[in-house]
Amino acid sequence: MDCVSRRQFLTTSTAALAGLAVLDRAPALGQAREITYLCWNNFSPGSDKKLAEIGQRFTKDTGIKIRIDHIAHAQQAAKFASEVQSQAGHDLVEMRMHFPWLYEGQLVDVSDLVAELEKKHGAVMSSAKEAAFVKTVWRAAPQYHALFLPNYREDLFKKAGLKVPDTWEDVYTVGKELKKMGHPVGIPISQNYDTISTGSVVLWCYGAMEVDKDGKTVRINSPETAQVVEWYKKVFRDCMEPEVLSWNDASNNQTMQAGKSGWIHNPVSTYIVAKRKKLVTADGINHSRSLTGPAGRHEVDVPRSIGIWKFSKNVEPAKEWIRYLLGKREVYNEYIISGEAFNLPVFANLQDHPVLKTDPKYATLKGEGVHYHIYGWPAPPSDRVQLITNSFILPNMLAKAVTGTPTKEAIAWAEGEMKKIMAG
Amino acid sequence: MAVGQLGVARAVRLPLRARVRELLDREQLLGPLFVTPALLLLVLLVAYPFAMAIYFALSNAFIGRPSEFVGLRNFIALWQSDAFRQTFQNAFVFTGSAVAAKVVLGTALALLLNEQLWFKRMIRGSVLLPWVIPTALSTLGWWWMFEPLYSVVNWTGTALGLIDPPGPNWLGQKYYAMMAVVTVNVWRGLPFFAITILAGLVAIPRDLYEAAAADGAGAVARFWYITLPLLRPVLAIVVLFSTIFTFSDFNIVYVLTRGGPINSTHLFATLARQIGLESGRIGEGAAISLYLFPVLVFVVWAQLRFVRRQAY
Repeated sequence: MDCVSRRQFLTTSTAALAGLAVLDRAPALGQAREITYLCWNNFSPGSDKKLAEIGQRFTKDTGIKIRIDHIAHAQQAAKFASEVQSQAGHDLVEMRMHFPWLYEGQLVDVSDLVAELEKKHGAVMSSAKEAAFVKTVWRAAPQYHALFLPNYREDLFKKAGLKVPDTWEDVYTVGKELKKMGHPVGIPISQNYDTISTGSVVLWCYGAMEVDKDGKTVRINSPETAQVVEWYKKVFRDCMEPEVLSWNDASNNQTMQAGKSGWIHNPVSTYIVAKRKKLVTADGINHSRSLTGPAGRHEVDVPRSIGIWKFSKNVEPAKEWIRYLLGKREVYNEYIISGEAFNLPVFANLQDHPVLKTDPKYATLKGEGVHYHIYGWPAPPSDRVQLITNSFILPNMLAKAVTGTPTKEAIAWAEGEMKKIMAG
Repeated sequence: MAVGQLGVARAVRLPLRARVRELLDREQLLGPLFVTPALLLLVLLVAYPFAMAIYFALSNAFIGRPSEFVGLRNFIALWQSDAFRQTFQNAFVFTGSAVAAKVVLGTALALLLNEQLWFKRMIRGSVLLPWVIPTALSTLGWWWMFEPLYSVVNWTGTALGLIDPPGPNWLGQKYYAMMAVVTVNVWRGLPFFAITILAGLVAIPRDLYEAAAADGAGAVARFWYITLPLLRPVLAIVVLFSTIFTFSDFNIVYVLTRGGPINSTHLFATLARQIGLESGRIGEGAAISLYLFPVLVFVVWAQLRFVRRQAY
């Protein structure tokens, strides 16, 4: 065996180290093939458990290790910001609503991957496309969606002989009775996202909007918005308790689960958690079709998608994970079913999904969809529309109005704030 | 032969050790050597983030996008925002009322703890509990107490016949909400005031009180003419620290109200998070964080000047 001199050793090792430094990554032989995935704490906890199980199978089948981390949904925005700013963190991130628009320049183009998924499962539904198809490119792969819809206490409605609402005006009619029965309507009017979810739907159903289709013109100051504000005022006065002014995203769920609220607007997670915790109210909770108004039937949808950061050094293994989770029909079905009916499929051919047959109370979810929109609709998602949402202008306009500010003044205030944002 | 080699090695090592010892004896080398790690930490953890914050505040930085220098535009534009003007006002109301309450209650508590009490050590230890518990966790407990569905405050008040059901809407009405966040801040900050003032009280010589008592001074006179003047430097430092901490509070408002209702409890830190991190406008967010920096620098300068005058 030839001896390696000290000089030879130093020359070779220095050259190798310099090569690695230039490459900025480990040689293929040394690569760990490990990816990291950041998700939220799903409101349907069974889904997170199943995801961990699927992750283990993925590692076994592909040899790619995956670490799945979870954070509360309220912390996601700050976490994304810090990862992008430091250009370090997870490879994959689960994004809510129009986050792919906000981080457009930081996300890998996954159009090829989405084309594969659409070939297998059919076209992506409109609201999920609105969220993740940025200009001409898919910046994230549509994963699932959770829509809002009316949740009501069927037992109380039957007992009092109340008609299940089909319009927002019906909500006022039954709400007055419910409040007299000690089971008020529970629509939050505070600085949280559920307030925007309900407020946006009422706006759309009455033909009002925040920003026009062009994405530039502020249209909040309109007779339709005045109608919406007046509707909120009377519902707040006659159908609700002032506590809605301090609610967070979970409060409406909790008041219905605790037996207080008789009608709320929320995803099916209220019922899922009540059932899982074996609460006495679970049997009485049911869901009804999305409501309509003078401008038709609309509903807010919360699509989620999986994006890959451009700074990731594991883009290909990360794509493998998306293919595995969303592309394999049996895995995707298993994943959707684990979330009960909170996570619904976003692909056309899977809309009649077995998860909807797991409980008769999910039957209403079938057939909804054509009128789903994300926040800010009809304006295309953009950072400015996102800022209007995240500045809680709509909730504050409604809160001002129901606590004594004249309707015109509250709307003019919102218009001024929105215009300042649009002007940049 | 081997012995000879060892002998040579030792001969080489000895002068090296001696040289190192000689170097370490030099003050001009040893001083910077000891200071460097602390200086590096300060530069990395304080100076660098601070410089970055100033850079962001003077730019139109948006998370993940290239930014441009815009001078003071963010600071000027902020003043046109209703939410920011409200936040500005909130910060002064919150800090002013919380610090005032902590001074009065903290002094009272310190005087009480300075007395001969049974279980003195246990009481002194337990007073520190609100300071020791992580703020986010204890504020969550307070949220449960104020939250309308489960509010133990309203439940107790109603049960005792003190308030009409359903009771005040603590977190949904702007004045109550401000009262709630101030209450939690006072509860959390009181131990810091009480223990620091207690340390100041213990240091006051007993013979001053004995002499005053012999001259016929009552409890109020003793407090006014002996305790308070001698506590002034301690109080100045405590108020200085507390003013800075209270102005920059985040956890309490974030957990209790998230700045609501209608921005009536937003502080600089919570609004900066909302604009800078949740909406991506990191330039504006940094400007919000730094808005009061010049004022706070002046407060620190004035307070420290006052303390130095008291000391000499």
